[in-house]
Amino acid sequence: MTVEYEIEIMGQRLNERIKKIFGRSLHIREVDAGSCNACEVEATALSNPIYDIERFGIHIVASPRHADMLLVTGPVTRNMELALLKTYNATPSPKLVAAMGSCACNGGIFGETYATGGGVDRYIPVDVYIPGCPPRPQAVIFGIMVAVDKLSQKKTPYSETPYLNTGIKGTTRLEHEI
Amino acid sequence: MLDILKKTLKTGSQTTKYPQIPDFAPAGFRGKPELFADRCTYCGECVTACPPGVICLSEKNGDKVLTLSYCGCIFCGRCEEVCPYGAIKLTEEYELASKTKDDLITSIRRKL
Repeated sequence: MTVEYEIEIMGQRLNERIKKIFGRSLHIREVDAGSCNACEVEATALSNPIYDIERFGIHIVASPRHADMLLVTGPVTRNMELALLKTYNATPSPKLVAAMGSCACNGGIFGETYATGGGVDRYIPVDVYIPGCPPRPQAVIFGIMVAVDKLSQKKTPYSETPYLNTGIKGTTRLEHEI
Repeated sequence: MLDILKKTLKTGSQTTKYPQIPDFAPAGFRGKPELFADRCTYCGECVTACPPGVICLSEKNGDKVLTLSYCGCIFCGRCEEVCPYGAIKLTEEYELASKTKDDLITSIRRKL
């Protein structure tokens, strides 16, 4: 097996996974839950010409209602607590949550105080932790790869989601996949 | 306009080939800290120096255990600076994303 062949296979890996699980692409909503903005700078760098995650079919969207995945940064401050929960509830299922940065993972340098919650997993279930302060854009791409892999293993009780029980059918492109 | 076109052609594609080709962090990058069991004396210098407090020293079944969690680590390198024996080193590894918090914990132990 030549090196070129290996590279070709590895390059298609992420794209194939996303296609298999999400139909065509993965849409991410970035949620700032009281971050210091370092993580936002790195998240912004993801869509610049150098890192360019759109080439994998990953898009950053403007509404949680369009998203498949939430990329949460920050230690969840008291003011952003409700906003985070509302965003999580507004995201259609099956959804993924990635905690980006050390603050989102564990509280990081802010820790757990009267003003900060100390990690996203205190409020909503987290699928993947991406440590780093802030993580490099490559580390975030790696984290997304890990998260997408997790979803394929996750037994999503899709037929049991509330709005499928109300009789509305064919609401998702995932119905036949999972 | 021709100048711009000329520059564009000269610059070429700058997009990183990251997931296909492994990307190495530049020299001096502070990544995953590593513990060396053979050098550590369990003095606890790093425990007091760690700003987010993710390093902890404990005793379990007569063993001294030094635990470090990457989850919450801010990669400041203070532990590396204060360690008198060089038992903790920051590597250039950055691919740390994990599905559980338990995967992000590393520890070394020694019998008392």
